[in-house]
Amino acid sequence: MKNVLNKEIKEVINTYPEVGRILDEYGIGCVPCSVGSCLLKDVVGIHNLDPQQEATLMYRIEKAIYPDRNVPKPVVDVNKKSEPKKITYSPPVKKLVDEHVLIKRLLALIPLVVDYVENSAKVDKDLVLKCVDFIRTYADKYHHMKEEDILFKYVDNNAEIIQIMFKDHDTGRGHIRQVVEGAEKGNKAQIKEHLLAYRDLLTQHIKKEDEILYPWIDRQLSTTQVGEMFRKCNEADASVGDELPRKYEKFIIGLEEKFLQEVTK
Amino acid sequence: MSGCPGSRTIDFSEKTSQEGSETGKRPSQLRQWPIQLHLVSPMAPYFQGKDILLAADCTAFAFGDFHKDYLKGKSIAIACPKLDSDQEVYIEKIKSLIDDAKINTLTVIIMQVPCCFGLAQIAKEGLEKATRKIPIKQIIVGLEGNILSEEWI
Repeated sequence: MKNVLNKEIKEVINTYPEVGRILDEYGIGCVPCSVGSCLLKDVVGIHNLDPQQEATLMYRIEKAIYPDRNVPKPVVDVNKKSEPKKITYSPPVKKLVDEHVLIKRLLALIPLVVDYVENSAKVDKDLVLKCVDFIRTYADKYHHMKEEDILFKYVDNNAEIIQIMFKDHDTGRGHIRQVVEGAEKGNKAQIKEHLLAYRDLLTQHIKKEDEILYPWIDRQLSTTQVGEMFRKCNEADASVGDELPRKYEKFIIGLEEKFLQEVTK
Repeated sequence: MSGCPGSRTIDFSEKTSQEGSETGKRPSQLRQWPIQLHLVSPMAPYFQGKDILLAADCTAFAFGDFHKDYLKGKSIAIACPKLDSDQEVYIEKIKSLIDDAKINTLTVIIMQVPCCFGLAQIAKEGLEKATRKIPIKQIIVGLEGNILSEEWI
């Protein structure tokens, strides 16, 4: 079993598809992952399952891989209900989670923006470029840079989960370049394709960060590191000033007023 | 059972389940003197830029691994929010530790009894009055020395 624990998850799932189905039951969605190079042992550890759940999961995985092996069934206290673990964040990580909220508000508006662009006689270039500006300045420069320059430095940058996050950021930047090109050319289909792709990517990306990556990093941080990270994030925020987050919150409120009112009309 | 939970008589001397080991000597992790919050100066070198443990007096006696698990690597100040006088001075000292000593973090360790939460309140008020902001963690120790919770507040 130790041998399998050190294998990449994609390889394990390809060889034993049942493992993918079992992981899925526990909310561990490795099957659709495009990379899949996390090791099985890390995949299980990173999700911070209840000890009872983890013991049962490992038993089921081992039985799926070695059906003939006499694997001792874990003793599960049926009276002790496994409760979903409440996620708590350290203050600097909580700040990053809070920044996701504004980004998610834009993501929620993207289908409406896309509809508007599609149904307008001419592409509203100004609107599209303002959304791009929010994504490039607030989501990418203000938020993602704190992740890349500060948060991710506290864990092994070569860890697969971190590499996936970097890849997501790059893929997102690629989609936004395409959106800008579409806006310049007045190509509605190009804008639609890449704004929606960005929305799908970031929705999954933020979910992974809020529920898995950030709690995993938080569990590894010492008190001293939390204090350091808090200071570094505050310094990074101070370097751009208070006005920047306020400006982009105002932009989102304006966008919500424009599009959500149209929907309710 | 009535009266103040902080001074109610409880005897758990019959408690038999003792996890852990008695082997080996545990060195003290204390790296400073004095430690009482009225006696310490926020300008003391051992506070500058450090992680600080603000401990309610009883916690070190209640929690067996106090030195190893919580004091190690930190500077300390101790106080009793129930019995100590002039507690407004405490708020000013916390503010000064944050602004002047530029401490990195503040961990407040208290007992589970209601009066002990006054120490966490002192820490919060000190932080509110300070210009700098730092993370504060609260640890609650049960009467029998178990850790009931540990969270950033």
